[in-house]
Amino acid sequence: MFFNSLHFTIFLPIVFIMYWFVGHKSKINQNYILILASYYFYSCWDWRFLFLLVFSTLLDYVSAMKIEKSKTQSERKMWLWLCISINLGFLGIFKYYNFFASSFAEMMHSFGFSVSPILLKLILPVGISFYTFHGLSYIIDIYYKRIKSEKNFVDYSLFVSYFPLLVAGPIERATHLLPQIKVRRKFEFEKATEGIYQIVWGLVKKVVIADSCAIYANEIFDHYQTANSLSLILGAIYFAFQIYGDFSGYSDIALGTSKLFGIDLLRNFNYPYFSRDIAEFWRKWHISLSSWFRDYLYIPLGGSKGNKWFQVRNTFIIFLVSGFWHGANWTYIAWGFINALYFLPLLLLNRNRKNVDDFTLKPDFESVKTIFNILVTFAITCLAWIFFRAKTITDAIHYIKRTFQDLHFSTQYLKIERYSHELIYLVLIFVIIEWNNRHKIEPISGKFSWLKMSLCLAAILALGVFSDIKEFIYFQF
Amino acid sequence: MRQFITFLLKSLAILILTMVLLDALYTVFYMQSDSRSKIDYLYNSKDKKYDVVFLGSSRVNNHFVPRIFNEQGYTTFNFGITRSRLEESALMLKMMVERNYKIKNLILQVDLNINTNDHSEAIRSLFMPYLHSSKTIRNFYKNIPEYNQLLYIPFYRYLHYDARIGFREMYQTAIHKKTNALDNDGFYPLMTDQRPMVAADLSKYYPKRNKAYEEIKAICKANNINLIAMTTPMCMETINRDYFNHINTVYPEIRRFENAVTDDKYFSTCGHMNKDGAIEFTKIIFKTLFKPKAKP
Repeated sequence: MFFNSLHFTIFLPIVFIMYWFVGHKSKINQNYILILASYYFYSCWDWRFLFLLVFSTLLDYVSAMKIEKSKTQSERKMWLWLCISINLGFLGIFKYYNFFASSFAEMMHSFGFSVSPILLKLILPVGISFYTFHGLSYIIDIYYKRIKSEKNFVDYSLFVSYFPLLVAGPIERATHLLPQIKVRRKFEFEKATEGIYQIVWGLVKKVVIADSCAIYANEIFDHYQTANSLSLILGAIYFAFQIYGDFSGYSDIALGTSKLFGIDLLRNFNYPYFSRDIAEFWRKWHISLSSWFRDYLYIPLGGSKGNKWFQVRNTFIIFLVSGFWHGANWTYIAWGFINALYFLPLLLLNRNRKNVDDFTLKPDFESVKTIFNILVTFAITCLAWIFFRAKTITDAIHYIKRTFQDLHFSTQYLKIERYSHELIYLVLIFVIIEWNNRHKIEPISGKFSWLKMSLCLAAILALGVFSDIKEFIYFQF
Repeated sequence: MRQFITFLLKSLAILILTMVLLDALYTVFYMQSDSRSKIDYLYNSKDKKYDVVFLGSSRVNNHFVPRIFNEQGYTTFNFGITRSRLEESALMLKMMVERNYKIKNLILQVDLNINTNDHSEAIRSLFMPYLHSSKTIRNFYKNIPEYNQLLYIPFYRYLHYDARIGFREMYQTAIHKKTNALDNDGFYPLMTDQRPMVAADLSKYYPKRNKAYEEIKAICKANNINLIAMTTPMCMETINRDYFNHINTVYPEIRRFENAVTDDKYFSTCGHMNKDGAIEFTKIIFKTLFKPKAKP
């Protein structure tokens, strides 16, 4: 059940009515309705994986209490590592086993040994990377005594399985979400309308921007050998907006949906393509994952303490792990590595926290510099996205090589019966709207909200892609 | 909550209004167009007189050269559409009758397309702008599963088929941007040859009785149109050429021209002849089935 499907359009109002008109009198009823809705939502993909979800929930729930009750540090540690190992074990088997097995075989082959690895025919359970990280953050917080363990199983289950965030995040923290689940939610008109605006804007990003860009990006990436330099540059830009529109659109719909139930989720995107350097980009892109890695990997590794060598090592570790988290493919690891390389000069020159403040543009040299920095950051981000999108690293390298060698900049008529440059106007309009509203969560609220709402609905209807519905990219992670 | 329900109802009203307005706008533009596809040309034409009309898929669109007929005093037009199947050919013929076309001969390609009773989603979409205004189109599609949604939900037809009749096509129609679909009296020549040529494999194909073909036969009979159903050439490397023999076991009246042109130099791909091949083939068809008209 995708957020942009008819199924979800029927599902959401039913849950909303049940939640506010049947179960509104107590927090227990509200949570029961949400947990049932969440399990139904998840089972729509594959009901068999519900057992995995429930098992993972149960494991974290029991482990957390065991950690808390442990009398010795070694016992606490034992429960922590047991829980982490089982969680990562599932993730490893479902997501990474085949990758490691075939990579091992390839490596042995390069040494002259013939190995036939046993590959598993497994379907990746949707959202496993997200709910595993969800549970891990909870367990680690318990271990470090940042929070108390949750005794109510229903409340804890809802924290893990809450349907708006279940399949593609944002990766929530117990400290943020559990307190909201523990109290009865009261209906707030402002929050609910904000939720609707966010859902509508999320749909614009998904069906208008991401899915339109996907048509062009797929064509150019799949036939890059015959594309000229202009098409290849446009292909990378289209993919940058495809993945942004897709994932931030999904996040907007998730956050907006959750607001309809009176629950705030963590913000996941903060206009990342207006970043002035790569460090700022990573503070604004997939924020819940970046901060997860910061808090549960980077800081435990020593973070920015210690000498430069340690900082560089830690930076590379989190970027490589972050790349690998996205999928079992060398292209994602390469993408993480390239981003670590981008980050390196900022780290060595102590400039990685230079652009943390907000900025406004004025007619002066400083503003020209800011715009230049934004464009450069966007360009290098696009370059890295080529590795993320390409099927293999070799493809990515050939794609980039061809971009700089072909040097033909005329528009090309693609096999999809469209000119390669056509979509850039739509992308530019989108960028202008985002730029003008970069201090808000979404551009619809405020003055003339009804007019803006009408325009967004018209854009979804007229410019959206419906005949070729594409699932959200991050569902596969 | 009451305030929110009012808000939702207003939003819903805006959504419905937007759908109605967009539907009306798109339809107005499509109704005025007669130069972007053979279907809009057909819809906006009336009382045409043709000695010969060609109907079928790309194997008609790329294979029959009306000029060769026209030079001999005939009035012809190639209504073949790439990707269309017999179902769409039947609908086009019905529309021709509805528009009071006077057709003496119909050359219908019946070869690979007889293998299926299915429709072409891409070509079906091109009829959708006229769903409300043409009774023929409505009747033709009244049994398809999504008929009610297409007919009664405003703008649904443009959403459902957005790749073909969505904003992009509507915009091109609105600015009267022409396509080459109607050039050369409907003939679209293939100018490049794909080499090495990949042999077509017909081993999965098996001719069966076809509802749309039966319908075309009935329409022709009722309107005194001489129907010439025929196969068209495929390269000699085609796997399972026996398929063409089987066609005649199902429909003995179908005339066999799959071997009319055999030299590879006349083929763009195994299933489609290039421009020279099309000219050669059309000459053979003319010579075999027609005579030059005496000049007045």
